[in-house]
Amino acid sequence: MPPGALSRERDVREAYAAHSGELYGFALRSLGDSGLAEEAVQETFVRAWRAGDRFDPQIGSLRTWLFAILRNVVIDLGRARAARPTVAEGGIEPTVEPLEETLLAWQVEEAMRRIGEDHRRVLVETHYRGRPYSEVAAELGVPEGTVKSRVYYGLRALRVVLEEMGYEG
Amino acid sequence: MKAEWPDSCRDWRQLLGAFVLGDLPTEERAGLEAHLEGCPACRTEAESLDAVARLLPLADPDRFSRPAPQAPRELGKRIAATIDGERRANHRRRRRRFGLALGGAAAAAAAAAVLVLAILPGDGGGVPEQHVEFAALPAGIKIGATLEPHAYGTAIRVYVKGVRSGTLCRVYLRGPHGERVPAGTFRYRWGEDSTATLSSALDLSRTRAIGIRAGNRTFVAPVDPAGPTANRNSNQEEAT
Repeated sequence: MPPGALSRERDVREAYAAHSGELYGFALRSLGDSGLAEEAVQETFVRAWRAGDRFDPQIGSLRTWLFAILRNVVIDLGRARAARPTVAEGGIEPTVEPLEETLLAWQVEEAMRRIGEDHRRVLVETHYRGRPYSEVAAELGVPEGTVKSRVYYGLRALRVVLEEMGYEG
Repeated sequence: MKAEWPDSCRDWRQLLGAFVLGDLPTEERAGLEAHLEGCPACRTEAESLDAVARLLPLADPDRFSRPAPQAPRELGKRIAATIDGERRANHRRRRRRFGLALGGAAAAAAAAAVLVLAILPGDGGGVPEQHVEFAALPAGIKIGATLEPHAYGTAIRVYVKGVRSGTLCRVYLRGPHGERVPAGTFRYRWGEDSTATLSSALDLSRTRAIGIRAGNRTFVAPVDPAGPTANRNSNQEEAT
């Protein structure tokens, strides 16, 4: 996409088709409110369109640029909400994590969704639920060594997905 | 997956996941640590995986066990409509500026006609564009809106003056059954361009009122689908 291409509405539509899911997921994770998340994504694309001439793919990807805009929008919306003594939709309190940490947490959660079911399952059972490898192996009907190798390949898969998502370690 | 390390390392490598997560039994861990001492390639792999393992506590398994949330289908249309509305407004502004630059009474009259925005024909509907003035507002506050019919719904240009700078304003249209259809938000900035261009999926022909929540107060003005009459006499402030 050449510089300035996002100033065309057709390219905004293409950018929306490619990235709105991730942007909405991060906005929802950050703001804890679907209405605010929609506002954040809408504002992100409108700002991107207004500043389309300044987008330069030599500097970074469109995805990275959109996330940078969304980050600022989330900060603005978070400040506005902090000024109002309200509780988020459904009574769920909004996240209090620093934004960078929220972004990282969202990336890891999204990466966990994208790795294979076998790998995700052993990581959930052994790491998040703290179950012994032998117990997990018996439940899955595989040798304990297989659980260990799945944990290994699961972490490798997670690393690949995180790198695809722009995580640089 | 094709292995990219020597066969002698294969068995050790498959323990690296449990190793970096601190789950390896003492004996296996000691054996692996001895191998890592003499194998830079496996050591590099262990360090790389350790960085990934350190991120795991950030994630909440309850969240990633559920499908990823999806943006509502109409959000894309709303964004396209907002951008389209803003582009049209920019176009009009440029034309107006160009007209004023020409000078003369004719150009000024043309600009005034654009500002009145009373019953200009819309692009995509059977109802005319409408200008709504909010009445009975607190002293010093002025709110006006222009609603323009489109195939996608209604483009809305909102003008606000007199509220505190930085106030978040949420705009919605109300349908024939009292339902609210969101039209987006903007922030009023003192001294800046205070006209916001927004859009809603609700057709202008079905719109009965426009509401603006500015800070903690909501103002509503009726919209007459038949034309821009009676908009000045009965708007109200809603309890919020």
